Amino acid sequence: MSTAEIRSKLIEDAAVIYPGPYLNQLRGESIELQCEELLASGVRRIVINFEETELINSIGISILLGVIESVNHARGALVLSNMNASNRELFEMLGLMSHVEMVDTEETALAKLCADVKQAMV
Amino acid sequence: MRLMSNAGANAILSRLSDDEFVDRETEQGRVCELAQIGPGTPETRAVRLGSNALLLGAARVGKSEILRRSFDRLFNQGAEILPIFYDVGRCLDLEKFPRDYFSQVLAQFVAFRRNDPRLISAADEPLAVISGAALPEDYQLVRSMVDSFTRASQLEDRSLMTRSALSAPAAVAANLFLKPVVMFDNCHFIADGEIHSEFIRALARNRASETSYVLSGLERLMSELIPADGELFEKLELIRVERLSYEHVERLVRRRAELLGIEISDSTIELMMLQLDRDVFYTHAILDAAALRGSSLKTFMEFERLYTSEVLDGRIAHYLSALLRGVAPDLRLQRTVLEALMLVIEARLPVPVDDVAERISENTSDAEAVLSRLHARELVDMSYGFVKASADPVFADYVRAKYRSQIAGARRPVAGEELLNEKLKQSYRLMMSRYNRAVESQLVELLSRFDFQSVPASLFDDVSYHKRYRGVSRVQVRRALDDEPERVRLPQIVLVHDLGAGEQAGLSWRLFAATGFEGGIYTEANEVLWLIALVNSREPLDVEMLVQIDQRLESAVRSHRAASGEISHAVRWYLSKEGFSAVACERLASLHAHCSTYAHLDLMQDYLTKLALVGEPRPASEFELVIPVEDEAELIAARTAEQIARAADFDTEAINQIKTALIEACINAAEHSDSPDRKIYQRFAIDEDRLIITVSNKGKTFGRAKGQSTPSVAAQPEKGARGRGLQIIRALMDDVKFERTDDGSRLVMTKYLKRPGNQ
Repeated sequence: MSTAEIRSKLIEDAAVIYPGPYLNQLRGESIELQCEELLASGVRRIVINFEETELINSIGISILLGVIESVNHARGALVLSNMNASNRELFEMLGLMSHVEMVDTEETALAKLCADVKQAMV
Repeated sequence: MRLMSNAGANAILSRLSDDEFVDRETEQGRVCELAQIGPGTPETRAVRLGSNALLLGAARVGKSEILRRSFDRLFNQGAEILPIFYDVGRCLDLEKFPRDYFSQVLAQFVAFRRNDPRLISAADEPLAVISGAALPEDYQLVRSMVDSFTRASQLEDRSLMTRSALSAPAAVAANLFLKPVVMFDNCHFIADGEIHSEFIRALARNRASETSYVLSGLERLMSELIPADGELFEKLELIRVERLSYEHVERLVRRRAELLGIEISDSTIELMMLQLDRDVFYTHAILDAAALRGSSLKTFMEFERLYTSEVLDGRIAHYLSALLRGVAPDLRLQRTVLEALMLVIEARLPVPVDDVAERISENTSDAEAVLSRLHARELVDMSYGFVKASADPVFADYVRAKYRSQIAGARRPVAGEELLNEKLKQSYRLMMSRYNRAVESQLVELLSRFDFQSVPASLFDDVSYHKRYRGVSRVQVRRALDDEPERVRLPQIVLVHDLGAGEQAGLSWRLFAATGFEGGIYTEANEVLWLIALVNSREPLDVEMLVQIDQRLESAVRSHRAASGEISHAVRWYLSKEGFSAVACERLASLHAHCSTYAHLDLMQDYLTKLALVGEPRPASEFELVIPVEDEAELIAARTAEQIARAADFDTEAINQIKTALIEACINAAEHSDSPDRKIYQRFAIDEDRLIITVSNKGKTFGRAKGQSTPSVAAQPEKGARGRGLQIIRALMDDVKFERTDDGSRLVMTKYLKRPGNQ
């Protein structure tokens, strides 16, 4: 399966990834690849902004969980932001809320990651 | 590449394969059963034995093949019924008829007794050779028949020879425990006075004998073949062969197109059936031509090009030319006949016989005879001193094209293009006329269900319907109809008359008169006449057209009064596909007329069905969708579900849940099945309070883990594992069921509509 174009940007030493309107296997694998590249290049703070994401399927969720695990394994942090109510409900229903960090906005996510880093340094 | 289909393995005389010969089992059965010797009283047997039949039907409808297949069936059964088949058309030299017929009977008898159909071809051999092939125990009988015929031949008396030949089957019946069924095809060629007399004599003698006759040929000549003899007609069964239905012709077309490797679209098939009037011969000609040229039939243009070519100089042209030559062997006479045919075709209304005869008599002294031949071959219809064109649209096109090229002097390419242009323009109208017929049938069927029900008044008042339901989905309208306070009490309709149709640019209409009773009381005072105008137009009906159509309805009222006396109550009902202009609505209101659109017709049908099914589950509105197994196709399904759920009044949260569940169902269907066609089928059914989505595929059951009889969502999915789909589906939908089907499996998901009162 070929990968899809995933938009992303770097803000200081954090990366924000935008999965697009539908997080499926295709986009999930693209995110996975991007995260691998980010981790390889030393980025340890990642936000995945779901503002544009209307739908997520189970395969997309599974890949996302894998990405979170990889980031944790690399001693990084990943936060999900801007998730709509029905996608949030999906995570809740699957019992995944304890596996993910979820906040309302991208700014909040970046702030949280910054605070987490400072705390870690303390 | 085969252009001719082969008949089945047991085929002897039949020419079509089983696939190509459809929907004729009844007629074939009746032919074969004519000679059944079954249990019963001696009286019953006396009635059944010696029965004759006329096999009637339009040209090219399959009568010859029915006889041939009946022959094959009876021959292969090898029982007490001896089949004899004779095509009178094979021996147009009536001098040779007796000998030819006798040889055929003899050869077929010998072949039957020896159970060797190859011996049928021995009919072309000398009689001694045929006799020599007979079974030893039959030899004496055969020799005596041959001797009898030879004696008659030596006398050179054709009547005697014919009599001897025609009595051959009876001789067989008298000597052996066999019951001959003699099938004559193309009987209309028995025009010769002597042969005709002997033929009728053989039929008449048959009253006491044990031979059955089945006669087939051109219907108009067949009726002249049998004299008005009450006893003859008493034992004469009429077997009518109708045209194949649209469904059967469509099946034939698809099969043949597949066999010949022709790409053909659904709409071309439909156009072909309409334009060729379900004629199997013409249809085969077009398909064979497409195969020969390697042409597809995916577009109207491709079909019309091929059609034009066939009508101008293809198989169709040659066949119709042969028909015309049969009527007018002489070239000059042919030209005159073409002119006469053109006159009749262009007239559209019946033309006095004298006018047509006058045109023909320029090149013949016996115009009446020529006209009779045209009538006999169903190329024109003659009745009560008038002539009108036959109903064969292909023949009409042929005549026009030939006239233009051979008489009007147009150069060939120009003539061809004119026909092509005409047919392309007509193709749209033809398709529309099929649509119109479907709506007309729907209206007539609906009228027959009018039975004093009380129905929402808005269905008869387009203005009030729009006021009440503008912007509301049909699903919501259906639910709201019950709450309408204003009602219309329908009459009980007893009779529906077709008052005729009309057409103008961009618009067509058909008028009906439906009589019935109001109030459940069958008196004159309660009799009611509904005058209905069904209008198909691209625009809302304007007041000018309304006035014109209304004048026609008014004249229908006057005719009814003249025929049946005063009517207590006349109701006008206008049904216009695109509704009515504002001025037209005012006019209708002043006439106290009902006014509906075609959409109201559908709603009315549903409403009456709902009333009829009180207490029973009502049929839901259904939608179907087929998506390929490919990337993100499930999004299309999700969008469709969203639209449907929104129309059904589901809230945003429920709609999102439905979409998510459907996406999971599609992914599962794609991942876990070996779908041979790589398609996922979905059906959406909206009922009063629920949406039922069925996702199915052809292949293995989807969503199962190995060893499990039903998919389980009890176990927590492992973190990171794929396939949480079923868990999601069960959590988001109210009811989920897996079902096995014959060719695959399906998942049925239900979401109930949460209304404010019943949460």
